[in-house]
Amino acid sequence: MAVERKKTKSADTPHGTIVVTGTSGFKGSRIIKALEADPRYSSIVAIDARKPPPDTKKTKFYKLDLIETLADSKLAEILKSERCDTLVHCAFPITPPKNPSVAHELISIGTLYVMTACAEARVRKVILASTTDVYGAFPTNPNFLQENVHPPRGDRQSQFLADKIDAEKQGLKFAAKYPDRVVTILRSCTILGPTIQSYKTNYLRRPFVTTMMGFDPLVQFVHEDDLIRSFMLAIEKDAPGIFNIVGDGVLPLSRVIKICGKMNLRLPQMGFKTMVQLLWLADISPAPASHVDFLRYLCVADGAKAKKGLGFVPRFSTKEALLSFVGAERLREVRLIEA
Amino acid sequence: MPEDLNKKETPNLHVLPLKSKKDDQDDFSRLAARLEKKIGRIETELRDSISHLNKDIRDLLHTKNIAFDEKNIQTDLNALYQQLEGRMQKTLDELSRREAHQRKEKDAVKVIKDKTSQLIKLLSLDFYKTVLGRLGSAEYEEEVDPFGMDRRLVEKIKPLFDFLYHKYWRISVTGINNIPDEGKALIVANHSGTVPYDGAMIKTSILNEHPRRKDARFLVEDFVYHMPILGTFMYRIGGVRACPENAELLLNAGHLVIVFPEGVKGIGKLYRERYKLQRFGRGGFIKLCMKTNAPLIPVGVVGAEEIHPIMMKSNILAKTIGVPYIPITPTFPLLGLLGCIPLPSKWSIHFGEPIRFDSYGPKAMDDELLIHKLSEKVRMNIQEIIFDLLRKRRSVWVG
Repeated sequence: MAVERKKTKSADTPHGTIVVTGTSGFKGSRIIKALEADPRYSSIVAIDARKPPPDTKKTKFYKLDLIETLADSKLAEILKSERCDTLVHCAFPITPPKNPSVAHELISIGTLYVMTACAEARVRKVILASTTDVYGAFPTNPNFLQENVHPPRGDRQSQFLADKIDAEKQGLKFAAKYPDRVVTILRSCTILGPTIQSYKTNYLRRPFVTTMMGFDPLVQFVHEDDLIRSFMLAIEKDAPGIFNIVGDGVLPLSRVIKICGKMNLRLPQMGFKTMVQLLWLADISPAPASHVDFLRYLCVADGAKAKKGLGFVPRFSTKEALLSFVGAERLREVRLIEA
Repeated sequence: MPEDLNKKETPNLHVLPLKSKKDDQDDFSRLAARLEKKIGRIETELRDSISHLNKDIRDLLHTKNIAFDEKNIQTDLNALYQQLEGRMQKTLDELSRREAHQRKEKDAVKVIKDKTSQLIKLLSLDFYKTVLGRLGSAEYEEEVDPFGMDRRLVEKIKPLFDFLYHKYWRISVTGINNIPDEGKALIVANHSGTVPYDGAMIKTSILNEHPRRKDARFLVEDFVYHMPILGTFMYRIGGVRACPENAELLLNAGHLVIVFPEGVKGIGKLYRERYKLQRFGRGGFIKLCMKTNAPLIPVGVVGAEEIHPIMMKSNILAKTIGVPYIPITPTFPLLGLLGCIPLPSKWSIHFGEPIRFDSYGPKAMDDELLIHKLSEKVRMNIQEIIFDLLRKRRSVWVG
């Protein structure tokens, strides 16, 4: 009977196989979960270098490391044999890795491999996960960065962001070369929520949050559920182009720290970068010194295009996303949620 | 005499105040009630003893048949009564003294309690957190609008701007009715004064003089946002970085936007070049008006040139710090921080008649020659307003 129902569902909807890469990461695992829960998607493939996603019924798992040699032809074979229709690429490290060359291999070259494999296997739609950090934090940024107007400038600040921009460029190149295929790039701002763990949540988890004296940039957050919803929307609809996935409203960083109930440690600008770099090398700082500018200057993106083109309306505002994170954090402190 | 005493009513002792509150008033009433109770007791004692005495005397007179010497008895009784009265007075005094002493003790306990609670407050971490927060920039921590303006901070510093506006520069405003009652408009003004007070003052003048408009925002030069404290402060009081995207968003939201097309060239010009308008950027503000269909209101500000007269500029030093110029005025850097106080010149602001660009088609935006011509026209318009205001001015300081 189960088989029958599956058949009728798949007959109803034209969705082909959906391949998700990086399924042991936060985005990948949550997308697999959402796809599993949705009866419209019958055939799902997970690709990861480490372990298969837990508790799956209709997901096939392939173990593949995107760094290894000939990963592109191996991936192409998988995509061909599975008749892949849509590929969601989120095999990116969520935190800047200590070893920059590994990061470069995975982010930049990994995406190159994925794109070559997609070209070879005639994948109809590719969805890339990216971040609004690629715009970079500059004093010359307008208050709301737009996808088509403002080019990403983050490569001037950090190698990690430069790799991410390079990954985006691979996607855009693919879109230009094959105009009949759909490439959607989702740039999400800082993700917060009850379960996400990244270098930014680590930053807000400390009892003393270091900021720069005299600077108080505006920040914006998107709730993790909203982010996954945006991916599902991108899988559902064919919306080529880049979209900023952001929550409504902005908050000053100092206010964020106050809402978190942490101490705001304002340190002078002089020597701040050196200190952060030393702490980064000593494994204390959550991010390298190249990310310091995000504590200093504005990097806020405009979500209007995603509302219009993707139909994505965030359910959580910036403040609600933050409160959801803070609430879960407090429950975690009293061990009501497992870490 | 005993009849007299009998006539006195015993005080009502049942209405004692409850012990619930520790107010001063309650303490007093309780004290009074207690005293009254005691006085009542003494009175009854006195009455009893006098009646006893009376009875004893009558009995004595009856039984022994002693001659009735009324006068003697009267004096004796009087003496006894006075003695008793004296004793009563003494007890009362003693009582009230004791009560006062108790009150004093109570006050002392209260003071000690207050001091200890203060001490506990001083020892707690929360207290230092709030103090540190206040010393830092607690004002910036409230919720802000999408462009980073903090309404509470704006209200907090409004008295300062009002002081500068009414008392210090005694700004006189004309033509305020040229600002439309609602809808967007771009306010274009001349820029002067070394430190950009003029933006804040135009904003304050609209706030104070116009009956309807409360939503003017001003665009601020880029370099401010490179700097600590000042950049954040500008955002929180309603300044927005000057770029076409921000201005367009603000205008489309129906705001008044104040813009200074001269930019740094205008604000940092030498004193001998005062009231000579510099080049008006690249005409971005004209394109903005065409794109958003907003009317343009030319504004002339007179008086701001004299607040910090720049004698010389040091550009080499400025470059190393990262500011566009370091001014040398008669007071700065000679007087140090005192030199940062602007001079109290008399200002006047005139809002000119709105200029509309609706008649130009959508293609006009690409016509650079036309844009430049229109920009020059607006510049001449503002220059004319300034000449008018200068013609009317008799003195820099009195106006």
